[in-house]
Amino acid sequence: MRLVRGEGVGVRGQIPAIAVMLLAIVGGQATVGSAGDLTLDDPRRMKFSPVEFNPPEPERVVLDNGLVVYLLEDHELPLITVNAMLKTGSWLDPADKVGLAALAGSVMRTGGSMRMSADQVDEELEQLAASLSISIGRESGSASLDVLKKDLKRGIQIFADLLRAPAFDPARVELAKLQAIESIRRRQDNPGSIVGREFVKLLYGSDHPTARESTVASIQRLTRDDLIAFHQHTVQPNGMILGVTGDFEKGAMLTTLREVFGDWQKGEVPDLKIPDVPEGEASLSTVRFVSKETTQTHLRVGHLTIKENDPDYVALAIANDILGGSSFRSRLFNDVRTKRGLAYSVGSAVRTGTHDQGIWLMRAETKLASTQEVINRFVANVERLRTEPVTDEELDEAKEAYVNSFVFSFTSPSAIVNRLMELEYDGLPKDFLQQLRDKVVKLTKEELLAAAKKHLHPDRLKILAVGPGEALPRLLSGFGEVKEIRLTPEG
Amino acid sequence: MKTKSRLRLRLRLRVGLTFGLVLLLFLLPPPLSLSLDLNLSSAADAPQAASLADRVIEHKLANGLTVLMVERHQTPVVSINLTFGVGGINEQVSRTGIAHLYEHMAFKGTRTVGTRDYEKERELLDELHRVGTELELKQREMTAAAQAGNSNTPAETTLEALQQRFKELQERAGHYVVGNEMALLYQRHGGVGLNAATGKDLTRYMISLPANRLPLWAALEADRMAHPVLREFYKERGVVMEERRLRTEDSPNGMLFETFTAAAFQAHPYGVPTIGWASDIQALTPTATEEFFKTYYGPGNATIAIVGDINPKEVLALIENTFGNIPASPPAPPVLTVEPLQRGERRVEVEFDAEPSLAIGYHKPGIGHPDDYVFDVIDAVLTDGVTSRLYSRLVRDKRLAASVTSDTNYPGVRAPNLFVVMATPRAPHTTAEVEAAILEELERLKTEPVSAKELEKVLNNLDADLVRSLRSNAGLASQLALYQTVAGEWRYVLKARDRIAAVTPADIQRVATQYLIKSNRTVGILVKKGNDKNKKMTALPSGEVTQ
Repeated sequence: MRLVRGEGVGVRGQIPAIAVMLLAIVGGQATVGSAGDLTLDDPRRMKFSPVEFNPPEPERVVLDNGLVVYLLEDHELPLITVNAMLKTGSWLDPADKVGLAALAGSVMRTGGSMRMSADQVDEELEQLAASLSISIGRESGSASLDVLKKDLKRGIQIFADLLRAPAFDPARVELAKLQAIESIRRRQDNPGSIVGREFVKLLYGSDHPTARESTVASIQRLTRDDLIAFHQHTVQPNGMILGVTGDFEKGAMLTTLREVFGDWQKGEVPDLKIPDVPEGEASLSTVRFVSKETTQTHLRVGHLTIKENDPDYVALAIANDILGGSSFRSRLFNDVRTKRGLAYSVGSAVRTGTHDQGIWLMRAETKLASTQEVINRFVANVERLRTEPVTDEELDEAKEAYVNSFVFSFTSPSAIVNRLMELEYDGLPKDFLQQLRDKVVKLTKEELLAAAKKHLHPDRLKILAVGPGEALPRLLSGFGEVKEIRLTPEG
Repeated sequence: MKTKSRLRLRLRLRVGLTFGLVLLLFLLPPPLSLSLDLNLSSAADAPQAASLADRVIEHKLANGLTVLMVERHQTPVVSINLTFGVGGINEQVSRTGIAHLYEHMAFKGTRTVGTRDYEKERELLDELHRVGTELELKQREMTAAAQAGNSNTPAETTLEALQQRFKELQERAGHYVVGNEMALLYQRHGGVGLNAATGKDLTRYMISLPANRLPLWAALEADRMAHPVLREFYKERGVVMEERRLRTEDSPNGMLFETFTAAAFQAHPYGVPTIGWASDIQALTPTATEEFFKTYYGPGNATIAIVGDINPKEVLALIENTFGNIPASPPAPPVLTVEPLQRGERRVEVEFDAEPSLAIGYHKPGIGHPDDYVFDVIDAVLTDGVTSRLYSRLVRDKRLAASVTSDTNYPGVRAPNLFVVMATPRAPHTTAEVEAAILEELERLKTEPVSAKELEKVLNNLDADLVRSLRSNAGLASQLALYQTVAGEWRYVLKARDRIAAVTPADIQRVATQYLIKSNRTVGILVKKGNDKNKKMTALPSGEVTQ
C-alpha cells in the first residue's frame, strides 16, 4: 500500500500501527532566523511555509533482453545498492507443493552458483562486508545487493550468477527444507503470529493463493529438481526490474550491467493473476476463536476490500486514517487506548495491492476481561464513520499530515527508485503518488462518508480472537455464532 | 534464511529491543550498528565519509544541555533524537517500571499543550491523584485483610465512596483534556517517526520533520522538559499493563528473558525488567512519577542530536531561546549497587506454550573497559553472518539449531552486563544438545587462536557498517546521542573502532578463559509446557485495582 506507509511497525509483519502518511512535498527554507521570541510562541498556532523540493529523477533504460533498469547516482557515500524485482511468486505454487517458491528463493541465495560453491559465495560476500539477499514472496521475488563501491565488480558478478544460474547445492536444499519444517513447527508459539495468519485464511479461505501455508508434508515433497524447474520457468530477464543507486557513473554502470546480464536470453514470463474470493463467502459474517493460553485476547476484526487502483481507494484510505490508521490522531487510538486504557497497540488498516483483493481490519490486544468492550468500540466507531461525516478538523488534520510529510517519500535515492520499480511492477503510473496527493487535497467529508458507507460493512465482519479457549466462546457469543479453529500441532 | 549481516558491536540495543527496551508506540526499526567516521581502507574513495567526523558540531548550554548537529542538505528534512541518561537502572525497589511509565506520561502534554484550561484542570488533577492514591491504599488493605480471612472489614463503605469520588474526578478532569495534542501537532506539520523508547540506561524521544518546522519541535520539547503535566495517569497505567501482557506475558521470548535476566543479576537493577513487575506498575503513583521526572529529567542529563537540512547557527539560537531558559538542576544521583561476583552456575526454566529455546549468559565489564572491545570481536566471530562459527557449526553443519545469535551488551551498556548467546533447537534436537555444542565452541575460543582471516572479516564489516550508518538522518542522530549519553562523548565510536581493530588472538584467548567459565554462567531454558499436567500451576491474574 503506497498511500499509507507504515512508519513504526507493530508486532512483526502485522498492521503498521503508526500509519504515517507520506506525500509529496513542497517547501521553503526554514524561517528559523526569527527565533528571537520563540519562548513566547504557542506551538498550537505556528504556521510554516510549505516544503519545496524537487526529488531527483532516476533514468530508465531497457536492455535488449527486456531487463528494465532504473539508475540514480548518489555520491555522498562510497556505497552501491542494486535491488531487483522479479515476476515470480508463490501464487505459482502447485496445490500439493505449497512452499516451493519461497524455498526456491531461499536456496537461490544459499545454494551457490555454477561458478562458485555455496561456501565460496558466503565466504566471499562476508569477507567483502557485502550483503546479498534473495527471496520470493506471494506476488513477487526480490533480490538485493549492497556493496562498497570498490567491490562492485565482484559483488555484481555473484549477484548475477545467483539470479541467472543458481546451483541449488543439494546439502543447502536439504538444510533449507529442514529449516522450513522447523519454522512450521514454531508457528503456534506467538499469539500475534497465529492471529495474523489465521485472519488472512478466514478472509480468503485457506486454499487461496494469498492465504495458504506450507505444511510439513508439502515441504517434504519438494525436490531439488522442483526448485531448478521453478527457477527456470519463472525467473527471466524480461520479468525483472533492476534499481541501482549509489556512487557510480551511469555509463560505466550500464556497461557493467550489460556484461553480467546482457547475454541472458529472454523467456516466457508468468502472468500474475490472483482470483477474487467469491462474493457469497466474502460477505458472510463469522466469529472464530483459537484457543491459546494467553493473558490477552489478540483480536482482528474486518473484511476483504477494494484494490489499490480502485477509484474509491483514496477516500477509503483517508477515512481509515481517521478511524484507526494514524496512531495518535486516530479515533480508535483515542477511544480504546487513551481514554479507556484498554490496549497498548490498537488501530486499523487498509492493506491493498493491485493484484489481489485488499484487507480492511481493526486490531488490538486487550486483557481477557475487556474483550467485549473493545469489539463493541470497534463496531461503534465503524458505525459512526458510516453514519456521520468526519469533522472538518479531522479531515484537515489528515490532509495536512499527508501533504506535509510527503517529502519523506523522497528522502533517499533508493526509496525513490524502489517506488518506481514497484509502480511499474504493479502496472501503475510513475506519478501515482503525486496523483494520490492531488486527490487527497481535494477530498470532501461527503466523499469520505460515501466511501465508508460503501466499503465498510459492520454486518459482514469477520471476527477472530486468539486467547483462553474456556472463556472466549462466552465473551464472543453476542457477536454471532462462535466456532473454534483448532490448530493441529505439526511435526 | 536471512543473513545476519550487521556487526553488532557495542551499544547495539537490538536484544534490548526485544527483551529489555520498551517503546512508547511500537518497536523501533533496528538501530544502525555504529556510526561515524570511517576510514575505509581505500580512503580516497570516501572523502565525505572520512570528513563526517569533522562535521559534528558540539555545543553545551549553560544549564548543561548538550547539542550535537550534523548538516545534510540532500532533502529538506531533519531528524532529532533527544536522549536522557535515565532508565530502568535508576529505579528503586517497588517502583520498577517508573522510567517507562514516565516516558508514556511525557506524551500527555504540558500546562499549555493538551489542555483546555490548565488552571481549572490542575485542581481536579491534584484531587484526583490524592483520591486515587488513597483508594489504592485502601484496596490493598482490603485485599490483605481478605487474604487473612477477615472478610468483613469496616472499610467497605469508605471504599465505595472513594471509588465513586475517583470516577467522578476522573471524568471531570477528562473534560479539560485535548487528547494526544502534542502528537497531533507533530503529525499535522508533517512529522514522521514520532516515538520514544526506554531502556536500562537511557530514554529517548524521536521525531523527523520537514526542516523548516524545527521551531515547532523546540517549542514542544522545551515545554515538556520544563512543564509536563501527568494527566490521564490511571488510564495510561492500564495501557502499560497491556503492553506488559503483550511483550512479556504472552511472549515466549519475553518470559524467557525476563526470568533469565532476573536470575543473572541478584543485586544490580539490570536484573529488573524495564517495563516493571506487574504489581509494581499497578502501584505506581502520580507523586512518585513526578518525583522521578524532577530527579532525572534536568537539562544536564540530556543530549539533543539533530541531523539534516539545518543551519547550525540558527538552530543553536533557537535552542538557546527555548531550552536555554530551563534552569539547571542538580546532577542525578548515581547508581551505587554493584553486582557481586557470581559464585556458581545458575539455571532457570520457564514453562510456556511454545517450542523450546535457550539463553546462556556470562557477566562481563561494561563500556570503556579494555575487555569489552574483545567481547565485541568474540560476538562477531561467533554469530555475525552465515560464516560465523556458531551459525556454520550449529545451524549449517550439525543442523542442531534453527537459529543462533548473540549480544555483548545485554541488557544495558553502561554498567557491567552480560554476554549472551541465544539459540533455538531444531527438532528432534534438544536444548541440552544445543547448549553442549555452544559450550564446545566457547571452549575452542580458549584453546585455539582466532584466525587472521576471521579478524579481518570482523574489521571489514565494522568499517562497512560505519559507512552504512551514515545513510539515514535518524540513524545518525540516534548514534550520536547514544554515545554521548552512555560513553560521555560521541567520539567514543571513533576510538572504539581503533580499539577493536587492535584486538589480538591472544586477547581473545585470555578473555574467553577469564569470563566464559561455568561459575560465571547463567542458563535460561524455555520448556514446552505439557498440555494438562501444568495447567493448574498458572499464576492467578493479578487484579488491576483502579480501572
